Amino acid sequence: MPAAAETWKFAPAYVLPSWPFAPPPELASGERRRHPVVIAGGGLAGLTLACDLAQRGIRAVLLDEDDTVGVRGASSRGICYAQKSLELFDRLGLYERIRAKGVTWSVGRTFSGADEVYGFDLEDDSLSEQPPFINLQQFYLEWYLVDRILALDAGLIRWKSSVARIENEADHVVVHVETPAGAYAIEADWFVDATGANSRIRDAMGLEVNASRGTDRWCITDVKFAKPFATERWTWIDAPFNEGRAVWQHLMADDVWRLDYQMSESADSESISRPDAAGARLRQQLGPDVEFEFVWIGPYQYRDHLLERFKVGRTLFIGDAAHVVSPFGARGGNNGIQDAGNLGWKLALVLEGRAGEALLDSYHAERHPAAVENLKVTSRTTRFLAPRSAAEHRLRRAVVALARTHEFARKLANTGRMAQANVYPPSPWAAQGARSLQNVALDDDTTVMRLLADGTRFLGLWIGAANEAFAALQPLTMRWPLLLRRIAADSKLARHLGAEADTLVLVRPDAYVAMQLAHATPARFEATLRATLSFDGAEPQRATETA
Amino acid sequence: MNTAPNIADPDGFYEAWLGAHEGLSDAESADLDARLVLLLANQVGDDGVLRECIAAAKAARGR
Repeated sequence: MPAAAETWKFAPAYVLPSWPFAPPPELASGERRRHPVVIAGGGLAGLTLACDLAQRGIRAVLLDEDDTVGVRGASSRGICYAQKSLELFDRLGLYERIRAKGVTWSVGRTFSGADEVYGFDLEDDSLSEQPPFINLQQFYLEWYLVDRILALDAGLIRWKSSVARIENEADHVVVHVETPAGAYAIEADWFVDATGANSRIRDAMGLEVNASRGTDRWCITDVKFAKPFATERWTWIDAPFNEGRAVWQHLMADDVWRLDYQMSESADSESISRPDAAGARLRQQLGPDVEFEFVWIGPYQYRDHLLERFKVGRTLFIGDAAHVVSPFGARGGNNGIQDAGNLGWKLALVLEGRAGEALLDSYHAERHPAAVENLKVTSRTTRFLAPRSAAEHRLRRAVVALARTHEFARKLANTGRMAQANVYPPSPWAAQGARSLQNVALDDDTTVMRLLADGTRFLGLWIGAANEAFAALQPLTMRWPLLLRRIAADSKLARHLGAEADTLVLVRPDAYVAMQLAHATPARFEATLRATLSFDGAEPQRATETA
Repeated sequence: MNTAPNIADPDGFYEAWLGAHEGLSDAESADLDARLVLLLANQVGDDGVLRECIAAAKAARGR
């Protein structure tokens, strides 16, 4: 019998930074000014885009209705940041801070009862300078993004500023802003809605998201304790310490563990999240002697939705405003970050007149299929975790029974397929489709991301180029946002690209491979650049000189 | 999907299949067949063939 009345301890609440509201010049002057980009919403997607644009020298405005980071006090939403996100943050100059604070991991294990039935080590497929994953409370990441943005452009973020409504005009968007000091309006060449799942901006435009809500109930318990567990992602399909239901166990910064318990579908949210109930579950898992402190307890039901068009006129939707999936595999926050990574360079080049406006249509053409894929992958996981009928239970039992002894069946145990950089389908901008390039170190002490960190430019990586052919290509760097590099055919990067000798690889500013050209000529390469940039002018503008 | 005869010893296989189910409850039998399907599916491997097999099994539903 459990002890009659255990007293539960709570860790002191996190003290999050706040930033002051500064009345913008428009309030005093009443002047309606035009900005190249206005972003609404300072979550992961909005902050990443603002940081990316600031790094590229585009003066955006970010409107955040709050004056701090995180939501609901100390609760952490996203915790797992995938390699492609970490590589982006390396380019933006905040990776080291994330690495120092967060928990690096690559191994995942899935258990049924006491038996391991599936395991993976994502390091096996990694050639990147960044690890497959780092866990970190979302508010820390947002905090680091804000600090980095303010270092790049102190006036970029306008706190305590919410968007009341927008007007879509032919060549701009009017954004009506409410602040503690009054209301004003600004204009944006391009407006980005990053206000999250419940976007009022999106709803006011009458856009349908086809929302659905799962019936499966879960209860997150973030808890601090000293018992040493492996810094791996452990999941139970049917945990003996949770009445045969699923459990997640994952470490975040500050020795805080994210324990996520599947509850019965008929459970009452309020009663399952009371400290007594959460404490009893923890006692089952940790045993009677482990001291622990609650950090946060929160029940949830997952939901999903998908917007049909990610670009409507001059308004673009990123992050949860565009797509929401169930949390399995860390495909929420990471894809908001990747939306921003996909959009930032396109906005920058269009605004600089170095790409055609049609390039922004490729944001929808690439990120919408990515969201469809993520929805498919996460829906399969939710169905494995919550069988809907006796037959579905039977099929899962068969998988789990065989997985104990047969390797092939382990591949069917699905407690989440971890977020990867999505492959983009063939399009007018990438005839072969576009595939992510890892942040591989080059022979001469630089990396893919270092080469992409300076301004906004493509990389032309020529595997095993002949001298004269390479020299003939150099004039293109004067006309296009382009840096050329010769790559040895036996290098790590050439192997990662899987490119034959004498292949010119065009890498976009978001580290996606847009094209591989065998036996490239300057004319063919220039035609590819033109298509990749939707550039329809006669002569591109001279590239900005970079150090 | 191969629907031409391919089982080396049809009667022997059927006998072995029946034998595996002897003494089992309906639920245990159903579990056994689910495991058997998975093991056989891994012998096939090819996604197109597996989907054709699923469709053919559905279409041939007895009464």
